[in-house]
Amino acid sequence: MPDIIQLVVTGVTVGLVYSLIALGFVLVWKSSGVANLALGQLLLLFSWFTYAMLVQKGFPLWLGLVLVILFALALGWIIERVILRPLIAQPILSLITVTLGLAYFIQGVVSFVWPKSVAALPHIFPEEPVRIGAAVVSQEYLWATGISVLLFVLLSMYFKYTRTGIVMRATADDQMAVQACGIPVTKVFSLSWMLACVLAAVGGILISSIGGITFGLVEAGLKAFSVVILGGLDSFLGAIIAGPLIGLAESLGGGYLTPLTWPGIKEIIPFVIILIVMFVRPYGLFGERRIERI
Amino acid sequence: MNVDLPAGVRNFSYAQDMAIFRTKAHSAWLVIALVFLFTAPLYWGDHWLSVANLIGITIIAVTGLNILVGYCGQLSIGHAGFIAVGAYTSAVLTGRFGFPFLAGLILGGLAAGLVGIVFGIPSLRVKGFYLAISTIAAQFIIIFVINHWTSVTGGFVGISVPPASIGKIMFTSQTSQFYLIMTVTAIVIYLAKNLARTRVGRAFVAIRDNDLAAEVMGINLFHYKLTAFFIGCFLAGIAGSLLAHWTGFMNAENFTFMDSILYIGMIIIGGLGTTIGPIFGAVFIRMLQQGITFISPILESAFPSLAAGFTTGIGPMVFGLIIILFLIVEPRGLAHRWSLFKASYRLWPFSY
Repeated sequence: MPDIIQLVVTGVTVGLVYSLIALGFVLVWKSSGVANLALGQLLLLFSWFTYAMLVQKGFPLWLGLVLVILFALALGWIIERVILRPLIAQPILSLITVTLGLAYFIQGVVSFVWPKSVAALPHIFPEEPVRIGAAVVSQEYLWATGISVLLFVLLSMYFKYTRTGIVMRATADDQMAVQACGIPVTKVFSLSWMLACVLAAVGGILISSIGGITFGLVEAGLKAFSVVILGGLDSFLGAIIAGPLIGLAESLGGGYLTPLTWPGIKEIIPFVIILIVMFVRPYGLFGERRIERI
Repeated sequence: MNVDLPAGVRNFSYAQDMAIFRTKAHSAWLVIALVFLFTAPLYWGDHWLSVANLIGITIIAVTGLNILVGYCGQLSIGHAGFIAVGAYTSAVLTGRFGFPFLAGLILGGLAAGLVGIVFGIPSLRVKGFYLAISTIAAQFIIIFVINHWTSVTGGFVGISVPPASIGKIMFTSQTSQFYLIMTVTAIVIYLAKNLARTRVGRAFVAIRDNDLAAEVMGINLFHYKLTAFFIGCFLAGIAGSLLAHWTGFMNAENFTFMDSILYIGMIIIGGLGTTIGPIFGAVFIRMLQQGITFISPILESAFPSLAAGFTTGIGPMVFGLIIILFLIVEPRGLAHRWSLFKASYRLWPFSY
């Protein structure tokens, strides 16, 4: 059956991109305890920025991508410095709602600067489709898979072998201890935001090169939350494994349930998964089970 | 409690201390405000009456959200979804099954409350971010069902709603609806004010401040958290029902995720955990929306070089910015400023 192979390939690929975005979330959550609900809007913003660089300004591909990464780094730094630094040690309610405010703001900026609301990125990857067995897969999917896996490997090596990577893991583990060692925690926070923004930029480019730039990207960002929830909020491994699972559930569910139920069922499968996980195993597959004390 | 009493006013019994109106001036101001409010149609045009109606409906919804978030500390980012449940329940019951409006209103509230309880069940095991995400999931699932259950809800096209009526009285004009909405709003505010002072309200506050400690003290978390979800979403349903009968035609576009964020923004701006906060927040945001829709065409014609997305983009930008600024600069909201103002004007001209 070519159909099922097609669905599996699509699902795993899109899922891997979700993982990538989710990784950015986990990074910020672990190091600074901020839940970044503006993820979807960041995806949207970076995709539009890429569009602006490549199409509107007409820069060559390499220059455009470098500029996008630089923009992501700068934006991550600004967000942390301007919005989240004043809110350190505030209750979680403020930390969540401030990112909601940010989400609102970014959405406004996007519809302000790019009012046409739908566009397509130029073809970054070769267009020739590839045959896997009986299935025909366009190359974008394979490239997205490759880039995601490459980034996972790079990130895990970064966390394992570099000094800053180790500092970030240590901060995630125990902020007070790290501070006591004389490491500026705020720098770790801004670094984690910068990295998260770069991941969001790459994820945004990958998703929008497959599906075009629409407001649907916001929902893609929200779907990354289901990856986070399923994998466990504080687990990198969980995010990497849960992403393809969500992607598979989404594409297989979309493929086989649509004839049985309403069209568009694909769009809410991740949200249903969130609810199921909440009821059954709220700390996720690999998350740390919190024991609370007064 | 007594810090904001004017000089010379003393309480000699607990009843006095607990009273909502503690001075004659209090009662006088209330009567003046009510008289002003209920004679407002005499000097406001239809446009401002419709704005006032929208504000009244918003106040009801935001008061519900405030009970849930501000008092009980359970973050819900799916409030627009719960409003939609109430709106559609009431619309379908009155429009297709011929229920009277009041029955639709109450049943709409109950339906939203029950849906709220279902999506609130995770709150027993999780909190903070997890709860935020599961309420976001609620928002998207509810809107999906509304969009696709075409035979009942009218799907993407929408559903038309008959105007509200009680007995022989039809609420068709803005003026008559103004009286209906303001009456409900006043009742809701009064109930919310009293809820905060009862056993239930105090249990909510205890849960917000530390739910583990509250549980240790003997507060049944299961009961009270779900009660908070029920009350919050019940009010959302009431607001939704009024909204449905007020607009007369609606589809899921009226209840987006961004609206949910805006409701959160309103309680932040107004002040969490106060009765007056939702009023300030709703009035502030709705008036700001009015201001923006008024000023953006003027700006656009004055400066033709402005980008084409100016009109659609300026609103969300301003709202996002205001939410962020309030959280950083005045996290206790306008209600806190208001009480500071009251305290200083009572003590004036003395500085203490």
